Amino acid sequence: MTVIRVDKLSKSYFVPEREAGLSAALKSLVRRKTREVKAVDAISFEIGAGEIVGFLGPNGAGKTTTLKMLSGLLYPTGGAAHVLGFVPEKRERGFLTQVTLVMGNRNQLQWDIPALDSYDLQRAIYGLDPAGYRRTRDELIELMQVGDLVRKPVRNLSLGERMKVEFIGALLHNPKVIFLDEPTLGLDVTMQRRLREFVAGYNARTGATVLLTSHYMADVEALCKRVIVIHNGTLLYDGDLTGLGARFAAYKTISASFDQAPPALDGYGEVMSTDGLRVTLRVPKAETSRVTARLLTDLAVVDLTVEDPPIDDVIEKVFNSQAVG
Amino acid sequence: MNVIRLWLNFVRVGVLGEIQYRVNFLVQLLQSAIALATALIVLALIFSYTQTLGGWTGPELLALMGVHTLVGGLIHMSIQPNMERLMQDVQNGTLDYALIKPADSQALVSVREFRLWQGVDVIVGALVIGYAVYQLREIFGWQQALAFAAALGCGAAMIYAFWLILTTGAFWFVRMENLLELWQGLYSAGRAPVGIYPDWLKYGLTFLVPVAFAVTVPAEAVTGRLTLETLAGAIALAAALLVGARWFWFFGLRRYSGASA
Amino acid sequence: MRNLLDFYLGQMRIAAVTQLQYRAANYFYMIGMVAEPVVYLVVWSTIAAAQGGSVGGYTAGGFAAYYIVWTLVRNMNIVFTPYGWEWRIREGQLSGMLLRPIHPLHGDIAYFAGWKVAVIILWLPIAAVLALAFRPEINPTWQEVVVFFIAIWGAYLIRTMLLWLLGMITFWTTRVGALFELYFAAELLLSGRLVPMSVMPPWVQELSAWMPFRWAFQYPIEALVGDLPTDQLWLGLGMQALWIVLAGGAALFAWRWAVKQYSAVGG
Repeated sequence: MTVIRVDKLSKSYFVPEREAGLSAALKSLVRRKTREVKAVDAISFEIGAGEIVGFLGPNGAGKTTTLKMLSGLLYPTGGAAHVLGFVPEKRERGFLTQVTLVMGNRNQLQWDIPALDSYDLQRAIYGLDPAGYRRTRDELIELMQVGDLVRKPVRNLSLGERMKVEFIGALLHNPKVIFLDEPTLGLDVTMQRRLREFVAGYNARTGATVLLTSHYMADVEALCKRVIVIHNGTLLYDGDLTGLGARFAAYKTISASFDQAPPALDGYGEVMSTDGLRVTLRVPKAETSRVTARLLTDLAVVDLTVEDPPIDDVIEKVFNSQAVG
Repeated sequence: MNVIRLWLNFVRVGVLGEIQYRVNFLVQLLQSAIALATALIVLALIFSYTQTLGGWTGPELLALMGVHTLVGGLIHMSIQPNMERLMQDVQNGTLDYALIKPADSQALVSVREFRLWQGVDVIVGALVIGYAVYQLREIFGWQQALAFAAALGCGAAMIYAFWLILTTGAFWFVRMENLLELWQGLYSAGRAPVGIYPDWLKYGLTFLVPVAFAVTVPAEAVTGRLTLETLAGAIALAAALLVGARWFWFFGLRRYSGASA
Repeated sequence: MRNLLDFYLGQMRIAAVTQLQYRAANYFYMIGMVAEPVVYLVVWSTIAAAQGGSVGGYTAGGFAAYYIVWTLVRNMNIVFTPYGWEWRIREGQLSGMLLRPIHPLHGDIAYFAGWKVAVIILWLPIAAVLALAFRPEINPTWQEVVVFFIAIWGAYLIRTMLLWLLGMITFWTTRVGALFELYFAAELLLSGRLVPMSVMPPWVQELSAWMPFRWAFQYPIEALVGDLPTDQLWLGLGMQALWIVLAGGAALFAWRWAVKQYSAVGG
């Protein structure tokens, strides 16, 4: 069943243009130049019920804009989006009570009171029945392992703890669609992993659909089978995470160990690192076998492995090449 | 002299930053005009019922209003922005960036901000004083002008010292911004000559909060009623407050460094 | 409906608890606010004394009563500031408000109403001190007391709606300072905040009769302090209701446009 359907969705803005310096500043007072920026340019995709999809792209690629359009905060300038059969920007009650948006570093809970009191307010806002609400709340508290933290004023919590109670508050109404915008921003590695496990567990238990943007590839690798890559507002890739490497990696890495210090290996490929007797080279995909053979015949190689580059390197390469081309 | 060079540099940066937003100048001009119009309406209303208020005539109260506006402009242009920034720095722990610079710490935290457009109030205030002086030209001579300049300087120095003392309190009590709310209210009491207030309030506005010295005393100079004793007292008090503020600043700084170590 | 009541009670409770936590901050704020009416009070008592006892029907004791009750009404007039919208938009608070299936106006009315409960408790000692210092003349009937207690909430609602409406301008331009100040100046002069309307020239009194401002300020004070005839006393509540409906309708209408604008340009 399709939960999110996006069809040629576009959003453009007009932004003022100004150069640095005093004279440019003065000039812009007289005549303000504006420029149309296509934040999102005719992207289309569909997401089925229960999927966890990673939404990737560099800063300014249009991820947050898309997320905001899907959650009804922004009107598209072109195309259409449907979420659970609703048109998001109409912001009907039936829609709002079935979705949620969590943004890292943003606070929806009241600062000065314990989260538990804010949760009660959420119950009133969403008109949840008290028994069901208590059950959901206690389950989430259990699942997130926050214990008594919900009884402390939110301002006294650490960033990670705050994000945990924030998550609970965002899920009290059992949303069917969850938008996560950089949910692990600024958190330490343990806390990131805890939140990841929570999202995965929640998804498995409730079958909620999750659309996630994150700068941390670890988030995406751990949670998402499928990724959607956008750059400069256009869709670059939509498919399996593993396929991303195969499709975009134009090179492989060769790690070789030697029993004595090797000569300079620049002639074989780009030297990425040298760690004692172990050297890592980056070579174009097509030349992998030729370089491997040359290394083995020319030098005394103890051990040799050929690998696809790590996924965040691939992503970085994709973005850089696109930025140039 | 170093302090002045430092100040001029920050002023330059502040001006460069603000000149980009010329619309803000217009907004500020309109706001000052609205405030001026409101104040004039209030004066007109008062003097539609009476000839003098607490012994002050219309033009004399106009001079008082001008001083109130001018000093308010000075506060908003330079003193308040710096002290607010200092308060934020203490709260966020970013004061270290200022302390690490090789300059006198008190001087540095006092000159970092400069709001050019707030200066509109200084000009508006000066114009109002000028108009009042024109009406009072019989009694206004070069002695009065000198006394006014001296009294204004003392008043500004006292307010700066007062604010620095309050703000230094942020080293102990992190939430100080509410004290500033209190200040805004008390400063508005300066719109009337402090002489008309009941005694407890008069002394409060003179010695607890230097509103009287910042507004009423310079206005007294303009209207020729300032005595030499008052002026001498103002100079002595200003000097004492400046010294006290400097001592308190370093006292607070020691505590700050101790706490963050 | 039951849900809404549930929400209001919850939100008000949270606001009251939060603001009582910030007793000291609230006190500083309220004491700073007291300076303004004290200036007016001293000035007009001085004039009344010089005029042989009274101005515009108010004696020194009458002014004292007027400006002491003023402090409570002024506190009831504190609502979400129109300057606050820029922050709400910039900090992403607005997104959160839009994602909730409840109108944000409810949230603001409920939150500040809860705050008012705390404010009224904190105000009582301030009023006592002012009464000791300035000797007000006040002898209300029980009927006036009842109307006063309704009217301060009417005043609260009128000003909430008006400032919400005003704040909506932020969605189109952020250079709103001058406009807001113009509004506040008009309000100062025409609401009875500066002086009771009877002190103003007749044409100003006439003008203010057509504006909402005095119903959010002078009317509650007069209900308690003045000698309004019974019919005018109750009629005032009707006028308040009328302005609440008018301003509230306009605010809701403007909100819809504002959300459209926000969704078009984004935050």
